[in-house]
Amino acid sequence: MQLIAWIPFAGPLNSMQSIWYVLLVPLTFGIAVAYKAMRVSSLENYWRQVLLMTTQVTVGIVALGILLILFVKYLVPIL
Amino acid sequence: MSQSKSTQSSLRPGAAVLAWILPGLGHVAIGQTRRGFLMMFGILFLFFGGLLIGGIDVVDMKQDRLWFIAQACNGPVAFIADYFNQSMLKTADLATQARMTSLGNINSTGTLYIALGGLMNLILILDAFGGPDRGSEHRRRRESD
Repeated sequence: MQLIAWIPFAGPLNSMQSIWYVLLVPLTFGIAVAYKAMRVSSLENYWRQVLLMTTQVTVGIVALGILLILFVKYLVPIL
Repeated sequence: MSQSKSTQSSLRPGAAVLAWILPGLGHVAIGQTRRGFLMMFGILFLFFGGLLIGGIDVVDMKQDRLWFIAQACNGPVAFIADYFNQSMLKTADLATQARMTSLGNINSTGTLYIALGGLMNLILILDAFGGPDRGSEHRRRRESD
């Protein structure tokens, strides 16, 4: 019912509220598409480079998130 | 000597203005057509992705001024989105405002998409303004082949 009331590009996509972290992947993809279009010297392996950068940034942010959880949950109580 | 002189990039203020008006258009104008369209796809993907996630409420010149400075680098499209937000959403009745206003993580994510798209476009504007002339590099490579 909530989805029927949704107007694309005008109203918020509230159905993603609980899984907002999934939206990190298209965000890094968009940044990689624009950045690699400027950065690579040849466009021959462009999409491979985009995929690589998307993966690297996503994995990097997830790793930082895990490190932060470990720090807050386990290291801070010890200190 | 003449070759090293030709590899130097000259400043292109017209291309920078075009790059702000529509992301990627500056590169298209200086002959880097494919790069320009890929940049356009990337920036507009982030902009419309942000609107799709957070709705029109995520572009707000009055309430989120600092975020809007970054979002404004997307070009006139950000000002058009803000115009629709101020003239349609902010003047609507309370029930509509409550339904159309994004909250929490969805608001943050939508705002972030458009702001990062704007900052990315700022880099592309600077590249269109004074970046290397990649088109002529390709031409030279082809000629030498």
